[in-house]
Amino acid sequence: MPEPSQPPGPELSEDALIARIEALLADPAHADNPLRDALAGLYRHSAQQRGRLERLVRISDGYHLFERASNESLAQRYDKQLRRIEKIARISDRYQNSLREVSEALKEAALRDPLTGLGNRRFLIERIKEENQRCARGGGGYTLALGDVDRFKMINDRYGHEIGDQTLCEIAACIRRALREYDLCGRWGGEEFLIVLPETRITDAAQVVERVRAEIERIALPTVREPLAVTASFGLTEYRPGESLSDTVNRADVALYRAKAAGRNRIDSV
Amino acid sequence: MNDLNLTKTQSTPAVSGSWEAGVLRMDGDSYPENSYEFFGEVIAWIERFLGASDRPLRLELRLVYMNTSSVKAMMDIFDLLAEAHGSGRDVAVNWYYDPRNERVAELASEFKEDCEFPFVIAADA
Repeated sequence: MPEPSQPPGPELSEDALIARIEALLADPAHADNPLRDALAGLYRHSAQQRGRLERLVRISDGYHLFERASNESLAQRYDKQLRRIEKIARISDRYQNSLREVSEALKEAALRDPLTGLGNRRFLIERIKEENQRCARGGGGYTLALGDVDRFKMINDRYGHEIGDQTLCEIAACIRRALREYDLCGRWGGEEFLIVLPETRITDAAQVVERVRAEIERIALPTVREPLAVTASFGLTEYRPGESLSDTVNRADVALYRAKAAGRNRIDSV
Repeated sequence: MNDLNLTKTQSTPAVSGSWEAGVLRMDGDSYPENSYEFFGEVIAWIERFLGASDRPLRLELRLVYMNTSSVKAMMDIFDLLAEAHGSGRDVAVNWYYDPRNERVAELASEFKEDCEFPFVIAADA
């Protein structure tokens, strides 16, 4: 008797299909059915394939897991290294900043006279060289004034070095007060001060330096004896294009010598 | 002897590692031309000490200026300590600074950030 064909129905689930095939194979009523052997073979083959598929999926999942773990650890290591580099850069930047500040402070200190707070000889030389370059490019000339405290040795000898130092500080203050904003000044050495008056002819410069001289004359430094009067003499000269710094300074020195010889507390020019 | 002694140079700090006391001192500026060579010795000593026993290790630092590769090397050293600390080892860092230079303290605290072992930053008396 041929098996009545199944009415078309919903697709069976895998488990239901397997159960149905197992039931058909186990049913003795179908023992002689010529399709039974073929079905049994197909059933075994399918079971084998299912097993292989499961193993394949398991191995493949293992690889995926492994890949993911290694990716995660790579990402973590990458993040860690990134944070580390950022930290190194941050710390290194701070070291660099403090070094830069130290170097700026040193530069500032290297150009300043610690006693009077004015620029020192190095500062003056740098600035005068700049002025000379400016003149070489067609800028206007300048007048240079060399000032020297009158009888400074006597002040030191009679009142001591402390009063001598105070005198120099007072004089520095007088110079700063009397100069125009764009004039330069500094301590050339010992009791010598140097003033640079840019874009100024000697006659106009003399008026400015006269203000300095008059300011200094008003100094009355309190001492154990009478208030100490201080004066200074000045030698002026105009920069001559092409000449060296020492040429200009030497000429100012000649003028200063003349002012001293003429009785001090005065200005002379060459 | 297992002690480590490197004399201070213009660009490298004085280093003294006492095996007996379990103390490594570093004192000075660090901006060597070849940081890997210089710190290689220091790192090797620390690794040897940590590997040889389970005695405590203390670092006493008086480092002032450091260039970038020295900063990196110090972080490598702190990583070694962190690893040892993680496995229960007694390790500590004391970083001393001149109170006239507060900046060193600020920098030391940058290093200290995310270090879980004892890390003390103190002004030198």
